[in-house]
Amino acid sequence: MSEGMINGKIVTIPEIATIEEIKDEIRDVKTFYLKFDRKEINDNLKIMSGQFIMATIFGAGEFAVSLPPSPENDRFHITVRAVGKVTRALHALAVGDKVGIRGPFGNGFPFEELKGKNIVYVAGGIGLIPLRSSIVHVLQHKKDFGDVYVLLGARTPEDHMYKENLKEWQGGVPGFNCFLSVDIETPGWKGEVGFVHTLLDKAKIPIENTVAFVCGPPVMFNTVIGELMKRGLSDENIYSTLERHMKCGIGKCQHCAVGRTLVCTDGPVYTFRQIKTLGEQI
Amino acid sequence: MFLIKKSDVLKLAQELSKDYQVYGPFVEKTSGQAFFDKVADVAEISLSAPIPSNPPKQAVFPQMERILSYRYDAAKKAAEMNPDYKVVPKALFGLRPCDLNGMLCLDRFFMGQEFVDDVYLAHRKSMFIVTNSCTTAFKQCLCVCMDSGPFAKEGFDLNLVDLGDNYLVEAGSDKGKALAEKMGLAAAGDAEAKQKSAALDKAIKTFEPVAIDNKAWISRVINRVTTGFAREDVWEYVGDQCFECGACTFVCPSCSCFNVVDVSSAACDGCTDRLRTWDSCSYEGYARMAGGHNPRKPVEDRRNKRFFCKLSYSQSKKYLRPGCVGCGRCQWVCPGDIGIPNVVTYVRREITKQG
Repeated sequence: MSEGMINGKIVTIPEIATIEEIKDEIRDVKTFYLKFDRKEINDNLKIMSGQFIMATIFGAGEFAVSLPPSPENDRFHITVRAVGKVTRALHALAVGDKVGIRGPFGNGFPFEELKGKNIVYVAGGIGLIPLRSSIVHVLQHKKDFGDVYVLLGARTPEDHMYKENLKEWQGGVPGFNCFLSVDIETPGWKGEVGFVHTLLDKAKIPIENTVAFVCGPPVMFNTVIGELMKRGLSDENIYSTLERHMKCGIGKCQHCAVGRTLVCTDGPVYTFRQIKTLGEQI
Repeated sequence: MFLIKKSDVLKLAQELSKDYQVYGPFVEKTSGQAFFDKVADVAEISLSAPIPSNPPKQAVFPQMERILSYRYDAAKKAAEMNPDYKVVPKALFGLRPCDLNGMLCLDRFFMGQEFVDDVYLAHRKSMFIVTNSCTTAFKQCLCVCMDSGPFAKEGFDLNLVDLGDNYLVEAGSDKGKALAEKMGLAAAGDAEAKQKSAALDKAIKTFEPVAIDNKAWISRVINRVTTGFAREDVWEYVGDQCFECGACTFVCPSCSCFNVVDVSSAACDGCTDRLRTWDSCSYEGYARMAGGHNPRKPVEDRRNKRFFCKLSYSQSKKYLRPGCVGCGRCQWVCPGDIGIPNVVTYVRREITKQG
């Protein structure tokens, strides 16, 4: 194991990485492709889908951000919306600039338990970011899973994340389906109009032997889960990844406490059954 | 076990001051209040001072501390990391058993979970602890309800027990024993062991009346809080009483939430210090995320979390004991009367109302 890492994680001192490429995704959201300056970090970093990292923007601070790259055969990158002081400072950076990275932290999605099952991903807006890693992984290992459905809702067609991936996902891979909707009627949009849960019927999602991953703003989250349960999916088969204010990522600062758990070490991936027992707002 | 004359006890502190920065309880002359902090002269230490206003946690977990500094040269695109937390070996002299237990909670939390906090570890491993077991109860004490006193049981290097003219000196570590031997302290025997046991019985008798209100109920309340059966209106009432000042968390020996901020430093161009500072779950911004979403906006949602930390089995699993150590400081500082003993009383009332 290389110096500065514990079990493939950078725990205490951020490792320096260079921004190799910046891609505009949607309004206020950019993807930053990163490469660590030390080769052994690039080689030894272990990612699990659903995990997050702590990113240091020099002079501005550190923030928690979910990891969209798949554990295998994918470029290391983060996708960030400029929403606060530190994320705005990141957006002001250019190719060649440096950032600091700690992590990856958190539990990740339990792929081993999901083998052979149908998987339904429901994302609202940038809720697709934390799900991307898992979707790409499942697509890479499609034969291990049943039918896969990706349902993405956004305000307008411009707000659909990861357009290149969407094109690939809609490209007719057998057993892999991707449906899009927009909230507001938009000229030129011929697809579904309505909140993302309206896609559940259009996609005719299976209920037997199915698990669902839901991620998006709290209002969307609650509606989608209600709709899924109405259709007969049980709470233990609905997964989500929670977002919280985080300062350390290693279970010490306690800002991400939800009920008896800490999102950084016990989460961020929870089943809805677990979420219900935590007794807190999402 | 050893013995030391009462008039000689500060000689131990004097000896420790050769290798350690000595912290101890002292009474501030102008206010008459007791504090626990570093002392310039060990003669300032008062072992008869009441429970200090502040817990000793700042010795291992300072109110504000640099955990990292870095330099970024934006033009050259060069970054340099420098983890330079300054750690001085410290001796805590005359620590009360409740505060010792608070520190043991912090130890298990910072060093015993999935990840070890390197900064805390650096402070803690170079520390010498001399506890001062309590023979008299102060008005806010409830350690007997929380199994953290009146006598210290483990986790000290040396423990002092007041036996009248002498202090009984118990060694809890090799380091402690070595110091006692180096000082040439007289050995204590069976007679002193008996005196200690009598002193403990007597001490418990003086503590029990002070804590009687809470004694039988804390375990019941712990059960209610853990299982989520404490009613919402209790938390709403507690929330209504809360001033959101954060005082309870700052004087709590086992509270350890912190915030981290990057602040530009005057040391050089492009130098930044990463500071960690105490934070409090009572503040509105505690869980607020960038973009404004705040899952713990109502004060009662935030308030009950503190009591969850102090009074639930789930948190006890991290501390290997209840999170509350019964020092009574929160009751003392709270302008809204919602220290732990009162909250226990409120939950208790709800239990009895439900029948």
